[in-house]
Amino acid sequence: MLDLKGIYKWVNAGNNRTFLLKDINLTINEGEFVSIMGPSGSGKSTLLNIIGMLDDFNEGEYYFLHESVHKLKEKQRSDLYKRYIGFVFQAYHLIDELTVYENIETPLIYQGVKSAERKALVADILDRFQIVGKKDLFPTQLSGGQQQLVGIARALIGKPKLLLADEPTGNLNSAQGEVIMQLFNELNKEGVTIIQVTHSEKNAAYGSRIINLLDGMVQK
Amino acid sequence: MIKTYFKIAFRNLWKNKTFTFINLAGLTVGLTCVILMVLYIQHELSYDKFQKNADRIARVTMEYSMSGGEPRKIVMTSTKVLPALKRVFPEIEDGVRMSGGRSGLVKYEDKVFIEPGFIHADSTFFSVFSSFKLLKGTADQVLKAPNMLVISESAGKKLFGNDDPVGKTLQVGAAQTNYLITGVAEDCPSNSQIKFNFLASFSSLGPAQETTYFNANFITYFLLKDKASIASLQPKIAPFMKKDMTDAAMTFHLEPYTSVHLHSGLDGFEPNSNINYIYITGGVALLILIIACFTYVNLSTARSMERAKEVGIRKVSGAFRSQVFWQFIGESSLLTGIALILSFVLAGLLLPSFNELAERSLSLSGLLKPSILIIALLILTSISLLAGSYPALILSRFQPVKVLKGTFRNSSSGTWIRKSLTVFQFTVSAFLIIATFVLQRQLKYIQTKKLGYDREHIVVLPMDSRINEKTELFKTALKKDPEVLAVSKSYNTPVNIMGGYSMSNSLSNENAMSVKANPIDEDYIKVNNLKIIAGTDLSRQDLLDVNTSDTTRKPYFHYVLNESAAAALGWKPEEAIGKRMFLGDQRPGEVKAVIKDFHFASLHTAVEPLVLFPDNWGSVMQVKMTGNNMSQTIAHLEKTWKELAPHRPFMYTFMDEDYNKMYASEMRTGDVFKVFATIAILLACMGLFGLSAYSVQQRTKEIGIRKVLGASSARITVSLVNQFVKLVFISFLIAVPVAWMLSEKWLSSFVYRTDIPVYIFLVAGLSITFVAMFTVGTQALRAALSNPVKSLRTE
Repeated sequence: MLDLKGIYKWVNAGNNRTFLLKDINLTINEGEFVSIMGPSGSGKSTLLNIIGMLDDFNEGEYYFLHESVHKLKEKQRSDLYKRYIGFVFQAYHLIDELTVYENIETPLIYQGVKSAERKALVADILDRFQIVGKKDLFPTQLSGGQQQLVGIARALIGKPKLLLADEPTGNLNSAQGEVIMQLFNELNKEGVTIIQVTHSEKNAAYGSRIINLLDGMVQK
Repeated sequence: MIKTYFKIAFRNLWKNKTFTFINLAGLTVGLTCVILMVLYIQHELSYDKFQKNADRIARVTMEYSMSGGEPRKIVMTSTKVLPALKRVFPEIEDGVRMSGGRSGLVKYEDKVFIEPGFIHADSTFFSVFSSFKLLKGTADQVLKAPNMLVISESAGKKLFGNDDPVGKTLQVGAAQTNYLITGVAEDCPSNSQIKFNFLASFSSLGPAQETTYFNANFITYFLLKDKASIASLQPKIAPFMKKDMTDAAMTFHLEPYTSVHLHSGLDGFEPNSNINYIYITGGVALLILIIACFTYVNLSTARSMERAKEVGIRKVSGAFRSQVFWQFIGESSLLTGIALILSFVLAGLLLPSFNELAERSLSLSGLLKPSILIIALLILTSISLLAGSYPALILSRFQPVKVLKGTFRNSSSGTWIRKSLTVFQFTVSAFLIIATFVLQRQLKYIQTKKLGYDREHIVVLPMDSRINEKTELFKTALKKDPEVLAVSKSYNTPVNIMGGYSMSNSLSNENAMSVKANPIDEDYIKVNNLKIIAGTDLSRQDLLDVNTSDTTRKPYFHYVLNESAAAALGWKPEEAIGKRMFLGDQRPGEVKAVIKDFHFASLHTAVEPLVLFPDNWGSVMQVKMTGNNMSQTIAHLEKTWKELAPHRPFMYTFMDEDYNKMYASEMRTGDVFKVFATIAILLACMGLFGLSAYSVQQRTKEIGIRKVLGASSARITVSLVNQFVKLVFISFLIAVPVAWMLSEKWLSSFVYRTDIPVYIFLVAGLSITFVAMFTVGTQALRAALSNPVKSLRTE
């Protein structure tokens, strides 16, 4: 599904060059459930952002579904991830001014999906996540676990092939976290490729593969 | 998608009520100012344009110079101009001579009225000004013969109720001449320089029979073949006049009809406005709108942190930058749209007071004209873009990675723009405040200036020829009331003496110079308390000496000169007494007294030479009273008037009010500036309030840490306040030289003017600093007093 070849990312601070990622070579196949682990500052999130095309890298090649991402223009890249990638954040990042329903609907609006179709799609996913009763509430009226469910629903509404999750259970208690991980498992079985960043061994165990990062390098 | 944009915009506005209120209030006030100004300016610019022939009508003005004097331009022309020039120049298709325009005395059966807008006009009036419509009567017939009269619809209603005015006869003037009403005309529009209620045939006037260049009492309009003729005819007039008049230096100028109201320095039937006045008020209204827009920009960008997360999420959800940009534009247009609707309502509510201020009668229906609505729509788009685009640009630029990972800090790049906009707002405010101070100071100077004559407790009664005949009777009757101190009759009161004459100290007229002169009686100097510095006051005998009804004696004049006139003739005050002099070609006489110079014209001009001379004819009576029981005294005047002059309604003015009226336009400017300055400082402070509120919010953590480290509340407050007071101070520094320069320029239009003391700037500076400090201080104090544990826990 995606191929990273010799990816480097650094920042220059004065005369010093600090490497965030060093020579990352990584292949992830369709249907995998990968967990990225490592201590704080090891470059997990940076790697995830590069895979999600939210962040640039300084050197190397990145192929996503056989497209060479490093050669694409901003707009093409944006088109690519709009169609194939969904994001889930540790802090949920729902828009406070929108209801649950409207939050989930947002990506569809940007994809230019017609109103009637949007309604159907959102209704389906509300149903599936069993949050139909909450659709007119605002994010602040929900518990953390429920907010994260909405966040995942929003990530999935565009039917992405790849789901990127940055510590999705980091702000949740263990019971809530359990629910989320179960959900990921199910999604993975349905064919969604998942890459998650996590601190928890237990959560990592849900995945089919673990990648350990330290100081920007993949530990063998 | 647009629906969602508006939905989220609305929710955002609802959620941040302070932000919304400040912006909405600011934009509404700014837009209201602009709407009222647009209405006003549109009215002023449309002046006379409704006239079908407007672009080929010219008003004729006269330029002449008395022997040796400066050339003067006046709006009054003589009877001969039209027939003489029309005969020679084929460019002139037609023309109309008009006179009057002031109030006329009109009597119908037992009812007596003094009605404004009584004008005599040639029978060609309705063909030159063909857009004045006759409701009854035919255009070429109604003014054909002497003593015919066209009445306006509203005057007709007033005099005759629902009866048909046509065919009725009115008695006009002191002489009660009969005029037959031959037509009824539609009321003149408010944007017309000619506004008549009564239009009488020109042939009714005595001077109409003679054609001469020397009776300059008429306003003449030419109707030319085409528009270009105005310019092409002009250079031919002076040579023609040279030929036609041999020696007299007199020529005529053509003013395009539509430029009279805004571009002519010469008042015709009504006082003109001035294009500069329109530029200034329009400009200031626009500045106020800009202040409101800047507040929006400032608050939106300051608040961008709050919106950053949303932008990040939208971008991650697949939004392009342009989509985010237009969303924020949508937000600003929603706000502007609401403000626009509110401002139309507000403008409607304020229109009556605005009319009073501007001395116009603009109507609400003017607001609903398509042109105004188009302008409103233009304003809506331009403000939405002007105020919305910068915040939208900033907000749509956010990188989702940075925003969503929490490493995002509001960059300092936006702060200097916010600071500059704030500085601009306060510069405008400071400028307007200083300008207002200077204006008020000059107005106060005008009102308290020692003019050299008394103007308190003097009532002015306009009179006519019939009352002139009974002057002595009047004086005695009026003085029966012990509160009446003295009564005088003259042509002009000292407030504004306008009569132009030439004076000379030799019969051959070789040293003739132009001079202002005023016919007075023996009580004039006493009533007005003019100071005699040499010689003696006029006596009853001096008046009898000029009485021309006694054919056996030649009139002999005893003159009173002011110092300047004596100096102009080369005399010291004491030397002048008894010297021979002449006023005009006739009137031989000698100097009887020299008085101290007094201000007999507006303070815009220097005191000129003035001659006061005894004459039995006058147009006003001045009654000097003690000032006790004013209303009773005036009741006595009215009772006396009704007994002695039943043909004319009793009307009076106070002399100090007449004086103030001369400065009506300055006072109006003063009022307008007062209003604008208040609005500007209010809006600027509201913006500052919002800005400081957000600044304090953003620095909550910093304040918390400082407090934990031991900073006192006072110290924190001061540091927060300082940040903004600095800006206000910079604004002040920019405003001072600009305000000083423009104020000096305005004051230089007065020969007699106040100075601009430094303390005006200090007071203005201190007051806006104080207001700004108070605005920011309330916010800062609240933040400084808050418990640091709370603010730090939110991180």
